[in-house]
Amino acid sequence: MFKKIILATTGSPASFGAARVAFDMAKRYGSEVTIFHVLGVPTKAFSQVVNDVRTGEEIEVDADYLAWVEEELKTTYAKQFAGAENAKIVLATGMPPREILREARNQDADLIVMGASSGDSAKYQRGYPGSTLQKVAKAARCPVLTVHRESASYWGGFSNILFGTDFSKQATSAFKFALNTARELDCDLTIFHALDISGKVLDQDQIEEQLIVARKRIRATYVPLMGDFKNFDIEVWEGAPYVEIVKLAREKQVDLIVMAHHAHELDAEKAKIGSTVEQVIVRANCPVVSVSKPDKV
Amino acid sequence: MPEGILCNKTPIKTDEQLKLTLSDSRGTKYYAEMLELEVDSDALWALIQKTMKSRTKTWFEICAHCGLCANSCFLYQVNGRIPQQVPSYKIQSTLGEIVKKKGKVTNEFMRHCMDVAWSQCTCCNRCGMYCPHGIDMGVMFGYLRGLLYSQGFVPWELKIGSGMHRVYRAQMDVTTEDWVETCEWMAEETEEEWPGLEIPVDKQNADIMYTCNAREPKHYPEDVAEAAILFHVAGENWTVPSEGWEQTSLSMFAGDWECCKDNVQNVYDAIERLNPKRATGTECGHAHRATVIEGPYWTGRPDGLPPVPYVHYVEWLAEALREGKLKIDPAKRIKEPVTLQDSCNYVRNQGLKDVTREIISYIVEPGYFVEMSPTKEHNYCCGGGGGFNGIGMYREQRNVALRTKMDQILDTGCKLVIAPCHNCWDAIRDLEEEYEIGIRWSFLKPLIIGMLDVPEHMLPKDEE
Repeated sequence: MFKKIILATTGSPASFGAARVAFDMAKRYGSEVTIFHVLGVPTKAFSQVVNDVRTGEEIEVDADYLAWVEEELKTTYAKQFAGAENAKIVLATGMPPREILREARNQDADLIVMGASSGDSAKYQRGYPGSTLQKVAKAARCPVLTVHRESASYWGGFSNILFGTDFSKQATSAFKFALNTARELDCDLTIFHALDISGKVLDQDQIEEQLIVARKRIRATYVPLMGDFKNFDIEVWEGAPYVEIVKLAREKQVDLIVMAHHAHELDAEKAKIGSTVEQVIVRANCPVVSVSKPDKV
Repeated sequence: MPEGILCNKTPIKTDEQLKLTLSDSRGTKYYAEMLELEVDSDALWALIQKTMKSRTKTWFEICAHCGLCANSCFLYQVNGRIPQQVPSYKIQSTLGEIVKKKGKVTNEFMRHCMDVAWSQCTCCNRCGMYCPHGIDMGVMFGYLRGLLYSQGFVPWELKIGSGMHRVYRAQMDVTTEDWVETCEWMAEETEEEWPGLEIPVDKQNADIMYTCNAREPKHYPEDVAEAAILFHVAGENWTVPSEGWEQTSLSMFAGDWECCKDNVQNVYDAIERLNPKRATGTECGHAHRATVIEGPYWTGRPDGLPPVPYVHYVEWLAEALREGKLKIDPAKRIKEPVTLQDSCNYVRNQGLKDVTREIISYIVEPGYFVEMSPTKEHNYCCGGGGGFNGIGMYREQRNVALRTKMDQILDTGCKLVIAPCHNCWDAIRDLEEEYEIGIRWSFLKPLIIGMLDVPEHMLPKDEE
């Protein structure tokens, strides 16, 4: 299920964590990995000039420039390239989220791996509010794996998966991805729901009653889908959902969190990743996969 | 060297020649070759005799040298009001001289004409409104561009631009397959939030056919998706053609007349093939001018009209809002000072000034819309029209030209500018990049989608 991985990268230090995971998966699971880099954003009407994504400078994309960027990327990832047989570099110009989605569609990719942000306020983003990750996560047909914290407790490979559910339709797709990954890579799977009590003062009996309901609902919703898969347990906690997910992941030394992403916002410019998953991505110590579509799970 | 390998009198007709020209970064070799390019005076004079008709001759005759056109020209105003920037001077000292000398002009003079034709006039046609005799120097500069193009004196980017149209029948290297694939992709990406949404390609007898700008499939396909969303919500029976979908005409900016005709014919052929009741195009100014206003004449249509009524997107949008096909949620209307950029190519060439304001009346909370001054058919060019935006060697002059629009926007006090034209949108983006005045700019489509009052049955029914 990880045959084709696209590592969407700016090549900046903010993306090193994502690169480490992508290359590790390539080596470990025999995936083909495409290092996909959008080097320039179109500008100046129909001219051939683009703004370099790193410097914001105007550049003309010609053979020399492409060769230079490719060499830079090879140098940046020299260590990872060593021993990665199925790795290739693809360069593009355009709006980064759009081109990442285009490449994923062209390749029929199984997974997009990327950092959560390029770190600095890139000049080219002006006029295009919203981050690349948000737009990619919203529209991608395949799951999107994000590595935000370089200090991630990711030692290589996946063995312990946490699936956080809000029982939405998209969560069913996310669950399938989590289950299939757990099956294929022989991982433990924790199915988790956090009862959102943030900002509310509830009667304790009421809380406990709802915890029981949620637990029953997990059993009814997900357990029948698991067949002979037995390496799972179920947790239901109360609190602020993103905090509880991050806490549980830390406690269980989880190395992959899987969650649904849904977008109700119709205005593409304002489209945000559901705030829980966004908060988890920023805070978790391990890679986080967001799933929004049922296609590649 | 009479003809260069890159800079010559032959239009780009093959992908090979196109790539070769493109690979010459910033046209360094191209412009070096231009220094040696021979002027074929006989051919030039023959072309003038064949194509310069009574209108242009009369305009040269009757110019009273009164100078009333001077102040009408934003480039005159913004460049220190020097006599060299007076429209009548600009055209008489270029086209006028070529005609007077019966085409016997030097290479150096032709290069001077190129500079004037592409960096001192955006063909905004404003001078024509202020001339007591109605002499439209923008039209004359369009003609001069054609003469220059025929002799190979055209900016590198526009040689490529019209070459793109000739090779791909689009201003960028987007093939028919790319285009159809993009439509499928956008339908796929959008259908979840808009159940039932389709982008019907080559549907016969639709009520309306939609054409666009190649930059949309190339770089901003969500614009195609946005058009689809609005047609879908409005319940339009619409279609896009697989061939003839590109409405723009860099060849018009370049002065490549043969290609201009081919572009438009390609769109008209799509209309004949699919037989829609009407057609409309994306939020673009020059594409409308080329296809709807000038195109019928280029293709020799006796009635001077496209094969079916061809409305600008703002006309379609105003109608859809007026008739209630699209409903705006009053709570979501714009509640901040907002201004509107009138695109020269449809405000002066077709007088489309009231429909855009009608749209404003539906989407902006009363009291928040601020007109620029001057406005409507008197509005100034965005500063990047007529190809100015995309020509590298005139970037500095273009950046100076943006100052007029910047001052107009600053005077409104608005931070949001609605720009229903690709070229204006680009220019305003660039002026923010250049001068950092803290504004935002937008096409109409995304704004309207954000404000729609969507009927219940059109919303996705997946969540519990």
